[in-house]
Amino acid sequence: MTATPLVDAARTRRRAPFALLLLCALAVAVAVALAGCGEKRDKLGPGATRELELMLDYFPNADHAGIYAAQAGGEFRRAGLDVQIRQPPSPAAPINQVAAGRVDLAISYEPEVLRARDKGLNVVAVAAIVRRPLTSIISLPKAGIRSPKDLEGKTVGTAGIDYQTSYLRTILEEADVDPASVKQRDVGFSLVPALLSRRVDAVLGGFWNYEGTELAQKRRDPRIIRVDDAGVPRYDELVLVANEDALERDDSELRAFIGALARGTRALEKDPDEAIKGLLEANRDLDPKLQRAVVKKTLPLFLPVDGRPFGYLDGAAWHRFAAWMRDHRLVSEIPDASGAFTNRLLPGESL
Amino acid sequence: MRRVALVASLLALFALAWAWVASLDSVDDLLVASPDETWKALNDDWSLLIDNAWTTLHEVLLGLATSIALGVVFALAMHLSRTLREAAYPLLVASQAVPIVVLAPIFVLAFDYGIGPKIAIVTLICFFPITVNVLDGLRSVDPGQLTLMRAFGASRIRTLRSVELPAALPSFFSGLRIAATVSVIGAVFGEWAGADEGLGRLVLLGNDQLQTPRVYAGIVLLTLMAVALFALASLAERLICPWTREERTA
Repeated sequence: MTATPLVDAARTRRRAPFALLLLCALAVAVAVALAGCGEKRDKLGPGATRELELMLDYFPNADHAGIYAAQAGGEFRRAGLDVQIRQPPSPAAPINQVAAGRVDLAISYEPEVLRARDKGLNVVAVAAIVRRPLTSIISLPKAGIRSPKDLEGKTVGTAGIDYQTSYLRTILEEADVDPASVKQRDVGFSLVPALLSRRVDAVLGGFWNYEGTELAQKRRDPRIIRVDDAGVPRYDELVLVANEDALERDDSELRAFIGALARGTRALEKDPDEAIKGLLEANRDLDPKLQRAVVKKTLPLFLPVDGRPFGYLDGAAWHRFAAWMRDHRLVSEIPDASGAFTNRLLPGESL
Repeated sequence: MRRVALVASLLALFALAWAWVASLDSVDDLLVASPDETWKALNDDWSLLIDNAWTTLHEVLLGLATSIALGVVFALAMHLSRTLREAAYPLLVASQAVPIVVLAPIFVLAFDYGIGPKIAIVTLICFFPITVNVLDGLRSVDPGQLTLMRAFGASRIRTLRSVELPAALPSFFSGLRIAATVSVIGAVFGEWAGADEGLGRLVLLGNDQLQTPRVYAGIVLLTLMAVALFALASLAERLICPWTREERTA
């Protein structure tokens, strides 16, 4: 025996620290190299002058078909805009990021805009994307819910959003159903799974054009009660939101954006099957059959009523809805919808 | 050979149970896809799945590489400075308790869109097991060896290089194996915070469009990815510090 086992062990292990250091160095090198090539910035195309960031309300879907049609059809580019379409990192992000000036535009919901105004955020709706409510009560035939009256004694799943809970209350009161007889269950954002697994008799919060179409395509024969057919005042489900400070500063860009979006939506109206390719090609994981059907159902609501410009926001309806929100204590600071919307930037509308 | 047979039979048993649950009348087949529907989706959607898998793998590997670098540096710094260790340890643990939904928007603010926030989330989840394990490894050195080094008049760096770092290697690999397994979850969370492609996004969108077989196919690929990364970490351990294996079998 010439060496103690201890020293022997130390000798065997001599290579080890270098291996570890080498591994670290390698890890850093790989990280740096890959991060470098991962940083892929879209270059400004020829003629594009202004970069504009738009944050969607949700992942890309048929409700955004007009936006993608305008993007794919080159409408934004021709209007001198380089539009970046972003998905929200969280449900609250679109409005918050616009308020913070981090994105130029966002898609949100009328109740969210009014509530944001109530909290003092300087956001303004500048165009309607979908000019009617889409939120509905959806049930399966087995539950036997044909009208709001049938909700008595039933369990309704919601996403736990306070104003949607108020929709339910309004609908029940309108139908002379004691709200205490209806059990409400917060199922988060898994509305359809909650319905299919029969954990609840109906769900409130799904869109009749989206979840409704989806369930119909899967032959589940959904029963749909639209909230605005059952007593909730009409509101614009999806609206384009900008920062109040940007209205003056970026007036021409915002105008150009809405004009291009109007042309994209007209293209969708003229040839839905062709124009929807913008959405489907940018998002290969969407189900084409479902998205096409949803676009066809929603198309009339993308377009304005006769005689109004694209994106028109109905002031009287906004004030009615704001009054309803006040009645239900969803807002308290703002007296009405004044300042929450403007039609000033719409095509053909001026000061 | 026996191990392979064991794994295979357990897997078969699992598939049988899965097929049985999926075939129950009380389970809506839009909610649970059967094994053969999943297999069919794997075949039909293969090009879509594999394109997205590459994106996710890219995020996972970058995040893992970053967390190895960060984890080892943190562990060394905390090992060398007692003050730092006492100050930073609670924060280290706290970093694991903050919900990703809160962090995701912050990461998006900090790193913009693209791959940045995904790497950040993978790193956040993965550096923890590496740091804790390496730190434990560094501190688990046989006191006799330290006494010996001191008796030889070895410097702090010399002790670190010749005794502590080699002793920490097996722990490092234990940490790496855990990190490799959870890294995939990190990438999925990262993609849920907004992504243009990736298996996490595919699964989320598939869920929303009632494409349950595609969702399950995505999960199968994510699982395979985690298992493969775990196996790679074990292989690296065997190559770089073969003695741990010898000691274990001895």
